[in-house]
Amino acid sequence: MSLIFDEYGRPYIILQEQERKTRIKGLDAIRSNITAARTLARTLTTSLGPKGMDKMLQSQDGDVTVTNDGATILKEMDVENQVAKLMVELAQSQDDEIGDGTTGVVVLAGALLEQALILLDRGIHPTKISEGFDKACEVCLDKLEQISQKIEFNENSYDDLVKAAMTTMSSKVVNRYSQQLAEICIKAIFSVADFERKDINLDLIKVEGKVGGTLEDSVLVNGIVLDKDVSHPQMPKAVDNAKICILTCPFEPPKPKTKHKLDIDSVEKYRDLQKAEQEYFRDMVQRVKDSGANVVLCQWGFDDEANHLLYQNGLLAVRWVGGVEIELVAMATHGRIIPRFSEISEKKLGRAGKVREVSLGTTHDHVIFIEDCANSKAVTIFLRGGSKMAVDEAKRSVHDALCQVRNLIRDQRIVYGGGSSEIACSLAVSEFADKVSGVEQYAIRCFADALDAIPSALADNSGLSSLETLGALKAAQTKQNNSRLGVDCLGLGTLDMKEQNVYETLLSKKQQIQLATQLVKMILKIDDVIGPTDALT
Amino acid sequence: MAPQILLLKEGTDTSEGKSHLISNINACQAVVDIVRTTLGPRGMDKLIQDDKGKVTVSNDGATILKLLDVVHPAAKMLADIAKSQDAEVGDGTTSVVVFAGELLKNSKEFIEEGVHPQIISKAYRKACELSLQHLNHLAIDIAGKSPEEKQTLLERCAQTCLNSKLIAGKKEMFAKMVVEAVSSLDPDMDIAMVGIKKVQGGSLSDSQLVKGVAFKKTFSYAGFEQQPKKFTNPKIVALNVELELKSEKENAEVRIESTQDYQGIVDAEWSIIYDKLEKIVATGAKVVLSKLAIGDLATQYFADRDIFCAGRVPEEDLKRLMKATGASMQSTVNKLTEDVIGTCEVFEEKQVGNERYNFFTGCPYAKTATFIIRGGSEQFMDETERSLHDAIMVVKRTLKHSKAVPGGGAVEMELSKLLREYARTIHGKSQLLISTFAKSLEIIPRTLCENAGLDATDILNKLRAKHASNLSSVGIDLTTGEICDTWKSMVWEPSLVKMNVLSAATEAACLILQVDETIKNAQSNQGSDSFGAGGLPGGRRGGGAGGRGRGRPF
Repeated sequence: MSLIFDEYGRPYIILQEQERKTRIKGLDAIRSNITAARTLARTLTTSLGPKGMDKMLQSQDGDVTVTNDGATILKEMDVENQVAKLMVELAQSQDDEIGDGTTGVVVLAGALLEQALILLDRGIHPTKISEGFDKACEVCLDKLEQISQKIEFNENSYDDLVKAAMTTMSSKVVNRYSQQLAEICIKAIFSVADFERKDINLDLIKVEGKVGGTLEDSVLVNGIVLDKDVSHPQMPKAVDNAKICILTCPFEPPKPKTKHKLDIDSVEKYRDLQKAEQEYFRDMVQRVKDSGANVVLCQWGFDDEANHLLYQNGLLAVRWVGGVEIELVAMATHGRIIPRFSEISEKKLGRAGKVREVSLGTTHDHVIFIEDCANSKAVTIFLRGGSKMAVDEAKRSVHDALCQVRNLIRDQRIVYGGGSSEIACSLAVSEFADKVSGVEQYAIRCFADALDAIPSALADNSGLSSLETLGALKAAQTKQNNSRLGVDCLGLGTLDMKEQNVYETLLSKKQQIQLATQLVKMILKIDDVIGPTDALT
Repeated sequence: MAPQILLLKEGTDTSEGKSHLISNINACQAVVDIVRTTLGPRGMDKLIQDDKGKVTVSNDGATILKLLDVVHPAAKMLADIAKSQDAEVGDGTTSVVVFAGELLKNSKEFIEEGVHPQIISKAYRKACELSLQHLNHLAIDIAGKSPEEKQTLLERCAQTCLNSKLIAGKKEMFAKMVVEAVSSLDPDMDIAMVGIKKVQGGSLSDSQLVKGVAFKKTFSYAGFEQQPKKFTNPKIVALNVELELKSEKENAEVRIESTQDYQGIVDAEWSIIYDKLEKIVATGAKVVLSKLAIGDLATQYFADRDIFCAGRVPEEDLKRLMKATGASMQSTVNKLTEDVIGTCEVFEEKQVGNERYNFFTGCPYAKTATFIIRGGSEQFMDETERSLHDAIMVVKRTLKHSKAVPGGGAVEMELSKLLREYARTIHGKSQLLISTFAKSLEIIPRTLCENAGLDATDILNKLRAKHASNLSSVGIDLTTGEICDTWKSMVWEPSLVKMNVLSAATEAACLILQVDETIKNAQSNQGSDSFGAGGLPGGRRGGGAGGRGRGRPF
């Protein structure tokens, strides 16, 4: 803390525990903030695009994550610096809102900050820079709207959606199977989508993964997959036309919640008790049986006795099914969750075409598939992969793709990827810059330069010369007046991103630019950092 | 040897006299320096990290001073006036500190020259009184004007308030929202009826104003998703009842003689909860909300009967909801009569960002509004919330007082001019002092210029010239760096804010000037005795444990 002294040389104690606080102010503060944020952004730059590299992150407990998803990397990095934390939140909020483009938003914010630093060195007031960036951001959004295209799709033809979903997955490890996964995702979304309200509850799509097999074995299950096994080894392993009894009460004699005590003082009473207990079990199983159910899912455990009885009655039973799954099964099968045995009735049973237990590979793992449910509004994407890391990464990729498709259903407009839209915006912004008088002009021009960071990172990551590529692309876009030209990352020989089928949603692009600008404005506005000494050094 | 007279406990620190006064002023100066740069539309933000690593980014003077945890007794006074300004009018918290600091700084030379502090404060009070009178004349009243004109006035005041904040880029949008929210309230304008919710993700422009109540989906049990999520004109019941299967009395114990009775107990327990549920269903309510938990059994029961329920609804949300829908909270499910059941036009659960929110719109009774702020990071949204709060307060106060003055330093320059004119007409030391007060007023436009990187001297000269030729609403145009008629460029401030700034700052300055001795207890008691009113910092409990600045264990 900057100390001041009175005329006797004693320091003023103005703040609580002032000696342990540090303060950086003025341009130094902005500079140190920018440096911190930029360092973080640089880490992510190499993960951008289809040829981007993955990061391996080891957590404190030794868990290893391999990913190139920006939000995940930043989350696992566990950054300390308070401004860098803002970047992490930035990626997170892109993830929350859009689900995709998390790397892009951080790279863009980093580039903007880099440009801001140049402007600051020229002595431009930070708020002027913010204003310039703000204006430039507006121009970008307009331009994006202009170059966006509406894609048409319906439940039978959804080629464009597949392309969009594939674009998302192209940068992930799973890209070899992106076509297959994309189709899975789209089918999943279609089955849960509420087209009228354009509302898609992603909670209804369960993404389940199991180690083993290859990604090719991944399937969309029209129903629910439970990572459980049948409670008794001799129970039927498959039931057709299943009537499912969904219970949230254990197969046990009911226990009152009030404290209770049963006094037993004679052998007779003890026998009575035992008989009563057995009676309970028999009664419970009988009720289930009477209702016509042939599958029992229970949130709690069963007693061995009950298990045996269930088996004898030819029922397929699963115990310890989690609350979320119970709910999903209930919704998928149009069943009602039954809280006590006395309420079991045929009407409340859920219906599914097929319930079967499947063993995976040579492992002892079993999963239960509940398929062809009465209401297909709950589906499961069942992923397979060679290692836990691969499955986890596949899950993240599928999540990204699901979000992408969801966004397209909300807003059908797309822009072309491969950095083409950024270049188009960059050109629009530089053009706009010439028309602005005042210091903002410089800021706006720098914004255009920052936008170039995305295509140039794409080019760099693909092993192309970034400057050459960028120059050529800009020239080509202006000459041909074609905003679809982008970086040919995959070496397909065409620059037209429409031919390359690289689609991104307009929502996501807009959001990226808005969020990055917002964060940069916030960082630029801070001129004073006060905090505990150890945190700042 | 003469015996030493020990009057005070060992370790007590005293200082007195003129030098003490000067040192107090210097300490205040240090605090002012911290917040000075946040003033005005070109003001900067502060990033403050506390011991626990929580980061706050703010531009609001009161928030900054609160987080700084000022302990110097004189400097604390400044932090307090910022706080009271915040509580009273919501805006102008930086101005009040900057102005008070400037008054003190300018009085320093008089103190050094031996002018008695009492004379100084008397003159300041006089000057303050005069300024308030002038301010009243300068203010434009819109009480009798048409609603449209009122609307514009309010929006402009809100915009001016938001100018200096992080969300300045979207000030038109937010000003409109704020005015809409405040005007939709009842005449008594209880600010608690305006809820502010934050959902991470999305951009600022996705923020919305919900005319009604909205709150986040509460924790739910299995079965919740099977409940319908949209109703029109539903009956709403608000409860303070736990709808769970549980023991009725904590320490009750039942002794059962035979196994037949066992089932009886079980059934009895079930019938208690079923009885409750049945009564609720019997009212025809479609939305059941409870402050306490609604268990899985109840959730499934309601799902079965197409009723929506939400347990553990935060109290403040429930309170607003009750006021808005006319429902009243019931601690029992007996006697759920029509008059305790509320309603609204539309209830819906909708996705906002990554969260699901419950919306209640078209409420028949008390008017309420909810802001849903969207933004990239938590700090950003926190700051937006504070900014909106300021704007809401400003609009609320303006609605009541309906008077506005031109901002951008114009009104300060005008008051300064008037005071100077007055000073020339009087005799004695007060002449000098009132001129000093007038000079101190110029600190506001001066700081505005400095923060914007403009040449303050140059611009102040221009302003003085304009004001001398009776152009009373000329202030600084910070977008061009020139002067302009701020009345026309729509930089309006509620006169109440200015009034409070003037009087609070004068009060504080006089108070500090009149202190000629400070007795500080030994350090170990410092936290709890003399100046601890502002809340104890962590790790200070247990007073005498030698806790003098010891490092926290790692």
